[in-house]
Order: sequence, then structure tokens, then C-alpha cells
Amino acid sequence: MRLNAKDLASAALLMTFAVVGFWINAEDHAIGTARRMGPGYMPMLAFGLLAGLALLVFLIGLFNGPDPLVPWSRTDVLAVLAGIGAAVAITWILALQPGAISRNWYPLGFGLFVGCLIAAIAERWRKLALVIAGMVLFGIVLDVGGLFLAIALCIGVAATADETQTVKGAIALILFQIVLCWFVFIKELDIRVNIWPQF
Amino acid sequence: METLIANLAHGFGVAFSAKNLLFCLIGCLIGTAIGVLPGIGPVATISLLLPITFGQEATTAIIMLAGIYYGAQYGGSTTSILLNLPGEVSSVVTTLEGYKMARNGRAGAALAIAAIGSFFAGTVGTVLVAASGPILTEVALSFGPWEYFSLMLLGLIISAVLAQGSVLKAIAMVVLGVGLGLVGTDVQTGQQRFTFGIPELSDGIGFVSIAMGMFGIAEIILNLERPEAREALKTKVGSLWLTKEEWKRATPSVLRGTALGSVLGILPGGGAALASFGSYMMERRMSKYGHEFGTGAIEGVAGPEAANNAAAQTSFIPLLTLGIPANAVMALMVGALIIQGIQPGPRMVEAQPDLFWGLIASMWIGNVMLLIINLPLIGMWVKLLEVPYRYLYPSILIFCAIGVYSLQNNVFDVYQTALFGIFGYICAKLRLEPAPMLIGFVLGPMMEEHLRRAMLLARGDPMVFIQRPISGVLLGIAAIALIAMLLPNLRRKKDEALAG
Repeated sequence: MRLNAKDLASAALLMTFAVVGFWINAEDHAIGTARRMGPGYMPMLAFGLLAGLALLVFLIGLFNGPDPLVPWSRTDVLAVLAGIGAAVAITWILALQPGAISRNWYPLGFGLFVGCLIAAIAERWRKLALVIAGMVLFGIVLDVGGLFLAIALCIGVAATADETQTVKGAIALILFQIVLCWFVFIKELDIRVNIWPQF
Repeated sequence: METLIANLAHGFGVAFSAKNLLFCLIGCLIGTAIGVLPGIGPVATISLLLPITFGQEATTAIIMLAGIYYGAQYGGSTTSILLNLPGEVSSVVTTLEGYKMARNGRAGAALAIAAIGSFFAGTVGTVLVAASGPILTEVALSFGPWEYFSLMLLGLIISAVLAQGSVLKAIAMVVLGVGLGLVGTDVQTGQQRFTFGIPELSDGIGFVSIAMGMFGIAEIILNLERPEAREALKTKVGSLWLTKEEWKRATPSVLRGTALGSVLGILPGGGAALASFGSYMMERRMSKYGHEFGTGAIEGVAGPEAANNAAAQTSFIPLLTLGIPANAVMALMVGALIIQGIQPGPRMVEAQPDLFWGLIASMWIGNVMLLIINLPLIGMWVKLLEVPYRYLYPSILIFCAIGVYSLQNNVFDVYQTALFGIFGYICAKLRLEPAPMLIGFVLGPMMEEHLRRAMLLARGDPMVFIQRPISGVLLGIAAIALIAMLLPNLRRKKDEALAG
């Protein structure tokens, strides 16, 4: 047996989608008959087929290796687990709060943002986490903080993902992008969004 | 023939409006720019710019987006030749002979034949689209739901078979895409499927979010992880003209490349990258100067450059006549059309003559523009490479964020895109190709509709798909394509061709 770790992990990922999809479909949707298909018929075919394919990928992955994944260090594992845990927990807790914090997808935004920051502790996830964190921060800030602040913070966080970045360069980039985005999205395309912070 | 000329005249009338000319030029400029820049391709760029096109008329929007796609094929050759740095996948092979030619002091000739070959191929491709459009449309109008379903299935299978890497995993990604495409309201019963009570999902997962996340955001992260090696331009461009000898050698290659590219472009899953690889292999085998390959043979530039541009044009044929996307870029075009309220399909020629003929005319105009943009302005494009990636990627990110937000003025789309960015990163690490998934995502809902209608009409008998002759043949081809990939010999050849 020559294990192909990439294929085995792929199979696990695909199988998860297949099982979850198949299960939700069986619970929620009427399947119908081949002649009169219900809303659940096509999902049943698709996820059933996906499960079969995932199984094939798994079986072949047992023999067509070796194609190992780069091993994860302890920090890598802990950071990713803590990040996911924090993201889920924060989203969950905030969603149950009364008031503004549970609306406008703030729970998901804060959850993802904190989760990414935690994952960024491990060097392996840092680039991924910081780019995603920057984008998520844009979503969090936009409504209350306005477009310009959101641009500044998004670039400020995402720019740190590249080690060669300089503070001066990042500030110049922020100013340039604020002008450019104002021109493209506000002046030319006139999208409906607050520009300045709302109090 | 007369109607064709009349139609083309109508198309040129549409394309020559000041606004359409301007957006064609913008599309070509952006396309060339991203073609030059490694690390950002047409799929990411078009999904990035989709939101910007909503305010425009459909024709103008599609003209610009098309310009980006074929413009990228031109731009990619420039840096391949001068810097040994392919800006696009489809120009990887151009580095093989093109850079050698530049080292031999024939950079100008290589650039010239790349541009001229592309222009010739683009012209032929455009004529093919114009000529075959109405004919194929006639055929398509006689299709029932059986034929449509089988055709889409064939498209999905070929796109998986021709995808890079494992065919099995590509098919799994197609099916996953179909599954994701089912999220949202069921058209026939109005039932919410897989929406988890999230109102934002009742129209389905945002198409732009998937494309931007999996191609745009994930690409950024992967590029950051790869240390970049860019060297400054050392080669002299020299005279931008060919010697008599070079003309003689390049002409047949351009012709062969155009023919091969035109065919491969129409195939689902084909498109520009496959065409240029295929043409390189063909030239090495068929050219009299095959032994010179690897030392800077002009055939190795002329053929592939013509092929990728021909394919970029002809890959519009299945989209415009059948409404079926041949590759990920065309899947984005379907998305753009649907957002504009136009259902792509055989009725488009009749219902949207401005769009159909205007687009075709603009493709040719765009090819003329590209010839002008590229040759004299090469120095400027190469300068573009001096913009370091650390300034480029936050800019791409912020455009993604604002663009996807402006779709529905909802931050949910921003978070959704970020999540698809993470998913795209995981997929890349596991060598799961995102392109087949995107095509599956677009075709999935259409396939479901046709499947339901077909089975209802056939009273639940699946044999109808085989009994209807056209449908049966299509399924037969799909089966052959699948079986062919099981043969280790053919699979190895495909891997070689796509290895890059």
C-alpha cells in the first residue's frame, strides 16, 4: 500500500459534503418518483454520486501514492483547531445576543475575524488567515465605519501577509486605493454605501 | 451569405457606438494587463469586474468581459517571450521557444509573429463564430430536454476529462459543483433547499462569490506563499519585423495553430491553454524544423499563439448557440448574462441580435485594437511588471470586497466570498480543481430542469436518453471519453500535454 495522503484527504472532504447533503436532503425534501421528480430527487442523485466518487477516490488513494501532505507541527494543529473553535463559539454566542450585535451578520463577521487572528499565530496559516481577516474586517466595519475606514483597515490587515511590506508602502497604498475606489465605485458606479463613519 | 453580411453589418453598427468601442478598449487593456501580470488570470479578473458591469447594458458588459478574455491571450505572450515569465497558463509554452528566440536576439520577431498570428487566428475565429452561430442555433432549437441533458452531461464529462490532474477527482468536483448549484429555491415547487433558513441563500449561493473566492482570493494566498522570482528586462526587443525566411517558416504554423485552436476551443473544457499546448506538440512533430525546437524555433511561437487566440474566440460558440459554457470563463459569461436577465441559449440570436452580432463584431475590432495596443506599447506593459505583488494583492482584495458587497448591498456576500477563499485554498492544496466545479455549478440547475422535463415526458423511462438518436450519440461520446481516460497510455499523453 502506498498511501496518497492528498487523495485520502480529498476523499474525506468530498465524503463529508456528500453525507451531509444526502442526509439533509432525505430529512427535508420530498424525493418524488422518476416520472414526477420532487425537489429532493436531483440532490439525491448528485450527493449519492458524490459519495460513490469519494469512495473511489479513497480506494485509489490507498495505492497510487505516495503523495504526502506536508506534516503539521503542534502549533499548526492547535492554531487551526483553536481558530475554528473560536469562530464557531463567537458566532454562536453573538447570534443569541439581543440588539444590533446579532444583526447584519456581525456574529459571523466577528467569529471569522477572531478565528483568523488565532489561526495566524501559526506561521503556516498566517498568510491565509491575514488575507481572509482583512476581507472579513472590511465587512464588519463597512456599515458603521464607512467605506474609507473599511478600505484602510482591510488593506492594513491584509498587507501584513507579505513580509516585504513596509509601513510607508502600506499607507501609500491605502491612500491610493481610497481615491481609486471612490472614483470607480462612488463617482462612476454610484453604489449605495456610507462613505464616512456613522455616529 | 447575404444575411450573414447584413447581420455582421448590423453587428458593426452596434459595436461602433462610442460607448461599446470604449468598453471594448477598456476590456482589451485590462486583459492585456492581467495577461502580462503573473498570478492573476482571466477567471479572477472577470469575476472581479462582474459587479462593475451591472450598471451597463448587457451588450456593453459582455463586450468588455470578452475583451478581457482574449486580451489576456495577447498579453500573456509578451512576458513569456521577453522575460521567460508566462502571465497566463495558455502562454506557458510560448516561453519554450519565445524566450530562446529573445536570447538569440530575435525578440522583436517573436513578439511580432505572436501578435500577427494571434490577430490572424482571432479573425478566423470570429468569422467561425459568425458563420456557425446561426446554423448551430437552428440545430439547437430542434433539441428537446433529452438532447439538452445529454449535451450538458457530455460537456461536464469532457471538461472533467480535460482538466489537469486526476480525472476522477475532477468528476467529483463537477458533481460537488452540481450539488452546490442546487442550493436555493426549487423552481418547480418553490421549496427552499439547503438554505438553513438563511434568506440570502434563497436565490442560491452567489455565483460571483464562488468564482471570486475560489479563483481570486485563493490565488492571492497561494501566490503569497510562493516566493516570486522576477527579473528585469535584459533582452533588447530589436526590430519588430520578420525576415523573409521567418515569414516562410511561420505562416504554415499559424495556419495549423488556427485550425487546431478553433476546434479545441469549441470542446467543453478545452479553451486557450489546451490549444496552445496541443499546437506546440503538433508543431514539434509536423514542422520541417522540428529539430530546431528548444533552440528558438519560430514555429513554436507562431503555432501556439495562434491556437490560443483562435480557441479564445471559438469557445464562445457553445455559449452563444447552446447556452452551454465550454470553460470556466464562459461559465462566468453565463453568470453575467443571467444577472442581466438574459437566458443564454439558442434563442439569443433571435431575441438579442444586438448582443449576438455586436459581440462578434466587437471581437474583431478588439483584435485590431490589441494589435495596436501590443506591438508599439510593449515597453509600457513590461514596466507593469515592476509593480510589486505586495501592492497588487491588497488592491485585488479590496476590489473583490467592494465588488461582491455591491451585488446586493449585503455583507453576507463578503463573508461568503471569504469562506470560499478558504475552501479554494484547501482545494488547491489537495489538488482538487476548481474550474470543473464552477462549470458544474452553472450547469447543475439547468440539467435538473431538463432532466425533470425529459422524465416527465418519457413517463419515467430513462431509456429515452439512449433511444433519442442525437441524445444517444452524445451519451456515447461521453462514455468513450471516460473510457479513453482509463487507458494509461492516453492518460499519460494528456498529463504531458497539460503539465506545463
